[in-house]
Amino acid sequence: MRHQQRIRRMSVPSRRVQLATAAMLLMATTVAACGDGEEGGGAASAPKAPATIPELTTDPLTLSFIWFEWPPAQALEAFANAEYKKERPNTTVKVNTVPNANWHDAMFTQFAARKTDFDIAILDSQHIGEAVTNGNILDITDFVKSNIDVNAYNPYLLAAYGQFPQAETGKRDENASLYGLPLLGDTWTMIYRKDLIGDKPPQTWDEMISVAERCQADNPGVSGLAFHQANGSDAAAVTYNTVNGVYGGNLWDSKTRKIDGVLNDAAGQEAMDVLVNKMKPLTARGSGNWFIDEVNAAVAQGKACIAFNWIAASGGLLDPEQSTLGTTREQILDKLGFATLPSQKTNLVPLGGMGMHVSAYSPEANQAEALNFMKWFQRADVQKKWAAAGGVPSRTDALESPEFLNAGPFNQVYTDSVPRMRDMWNVPEYARLVDIENTNVNAALNGAKTPTDALNDIAKEQQSVLDSSSRKGGGGL
Amino acid sequence: MLAVTFISPALLLLLGMSVFPLLWALYLSFTDYSATRGGPARFIGFANYTAILTSAQVHQRALTTLIYVVGAVTLQTVLGFGIAYLISRRAHGRGVLTTLFLVPMMLSPVVVGLFWRFMLDAQFGVINSMLGSLGLGQVEWLTRQRTALISLIVVDTWQWTPFIMLIALAGLTAVPKYLYEAASIDRASEWFRFRTITLPLVWPLLLIAVLFRSIEAFRLFDLVYILTNGGPGVSTETLSFHVYKVAFLGFNTGTASAYGILMVLVVIVLTQLYLRYLNKLKEG
Repeated sequence: MRHQQRIRRMSVPSRRVQLATAAMLLMATTVAACGDGEEGGGAASAPKAPATIPELTTDPLTLSFIWFEWPPAQALEAFANAEYKKERPNTTVKVNTVPNANWHDAMFTQFAARKTDFDIAILDSQHIGEAVTNGNILDITDFVKSNIDVNAYNPYLLAAYGQFPQAETGKRDENASLYGLPLLGDTWTMIYRKDLIGDKPPQTWDEMISVAERCQADNPGVSGLAFHQANGSDAAAVTYNTVNGVYGGNLWDSKTRKIDGVLNDAAGQEAMDVLVNKMKPLTARGSGNWFIDEVNAAVAQGKACIAFNWIAASGGLLDPEQSTLGTTREQILDKLGFATLPSQKTNLVPLGGMGMHVSAYSPEANQAEALNFMKWFQRADVQKKWAAAGGVPSRTDALESPEFLNAGPFNQVYTDSVPRMRDMWNVPEYARLVDIENTNVNAALNGAKTPTDALNDIAKEQQSVLDSSSRKGGGGL
Repeated sequence: MLAVTFISPALLLLLGMSVFPLLWALYLSFTDYSATRGGPARFIGFANYTAILTSAQVHQRALTTLIYVVGAVTLQTVLGFGIAYLISRRAHGRGVLTTLFLVPMMLSPVVVGLFWRFMLDAQFGVINSMLGSLGLGQVEWLTRQRTALISLIVVDTWQWTPFIMLIALAGLTAVPKYLYEAASIDRASEWFRFRTITLPLVWPLLLIAVLFRSIEAFRLFDLVYILTNGGPGVSTETLSFHVYKVAFLGFNTGTASAYGILMVLVVIVLTQLYLRYLNKLKEG
């Protein structure tokens, strides 16, 4: 009995001790976390990179990139380790990759933590606004002025891959700040079956549709068209934006930040009608979730007369091991042709590709190495070597060089397309805008919404995202 | 003191990984905080909660989730109990059969999602190929509004029916044999025995399995992400998938926190109601 009493007497204070300890720990953790939040706040603009490259370390250093998984990522790592190592033997380049669908999240969750395991983020052109506004990448305006020959580029490419605020199309703003430099240029190419529709590619969008229609009718088992329709990444959105541009539509009025009434005007409605009612019936059954790989597979297996895909992802089409169109590259090229997109009311083509951006949270030695790498990468001789290695350069001299033009049958398409490019909105709200467009275009393509409803919903929902900055609560819905 | 020393690592882990994030999310849910934008978290009261509860987008996802939970859990319960009942009647090979049936449950949902995505592909998938060889038409499993949700339910059922089966089998094995023997002496029919002995005794255990599965199904994210990405359009977007988009596409951390807290509340309330019913059943 005495023993039991003693235990009880002891157990009451220990329970209190336990509770007090737990409460203190919880408070300590909360205070620590609050402290972090406040520390992270306030810095709402990008920190500046020095105009001249700081002294580089001689210690072994790994320069890390982050990109999504596709052939150019492996090409970049191999190229950089082969060539950059000649100049900087102590540096190893590592290109970390994630699935395309996780690309944005993988970069921005690390930015949110104010700590990155990469030194150079390869951002899509439209991600720049979000990264700049949040202060996640370095402002390299002064660095570019001192180290890069900006006249060596088509001004729009510099604007697209580095400038913010970015001009949606057209000229670069000389006074705007730069936050990145081009890494890989890209646009859509039209891939067509020369053996089925002839050597001459269709010149207008309407002609392209009628040629595809005829080809599908004449070749059972082969669909007239193959293009991106998936609701992930920016797949269906780029498809609609391309048709919208070709038919004279606009995505928004960037000056007044107006989407509703601009996107869904007569030209926009015509573009959606063409996409859903004229192009979609010419695609394979069940192709409503196709993206880059599926379109390439359809072409390689001889299941499409005309297809649209990003140039940087088209290299595999010439690999006999992945194709049923021939046992050699030459045999495949006898059947496949690559051309710039047909025009209609305008000749706009989508801007693809990405730039290099230095993480604001990378150690100083790595930031210095990153700047040095970027300067090296933009050299005329390196750009030509990058072209020969399978990359798509951005310097005009490299784009017009035999190294680039002879490296792939689609490279001439890129060079010809550069003056015709148009990008999407480069605003901090990009991720949400593109998701709204993707899901609605995908819904229209798969019969879940009428084309008119889908387009009006896109315009309304996107407008509400742009207008929601003053809304109290419920941001993101 | 020794006891405190021993439990403190686990306690710390629980506080750091579970209790603190929950309380932190609760705090953020009353603010307009954004993880990427940084800046101070401004207190906005119940504005996030009001916006979520009145949002047509959320209502649509809630309906999709409800259809999915009811469809998947009902199908899994019927099939799981049926398979367990059949296995329990076998004298030989019961262990091997049970192990085989459990395999899908042991696979990662991402792996399951990926191979079902290939199998359900309208052009190259084995399912349509089989339908074709039977002279049936091709079905767009993942790209049509109706079939996409059904496909999700079927894949989830394929993976999680074994869970219900396992629990039902435990219940069936625990039914005292003498009850069946007594019923046999009274010449009770098979159906009578099932209705008056088997089902009433297994029912409470089965309901617990249904509770676990319902909670899991309510939180479904991975299969949607891999199989349909919420499409076509947003027709297979569940609540969890929507929270993910709110949290990571615009990094609206405050709203996403409120959304998550509301989902936890729904689960807690429904579980409480369910447990009360279960207790009543026990007392009865």
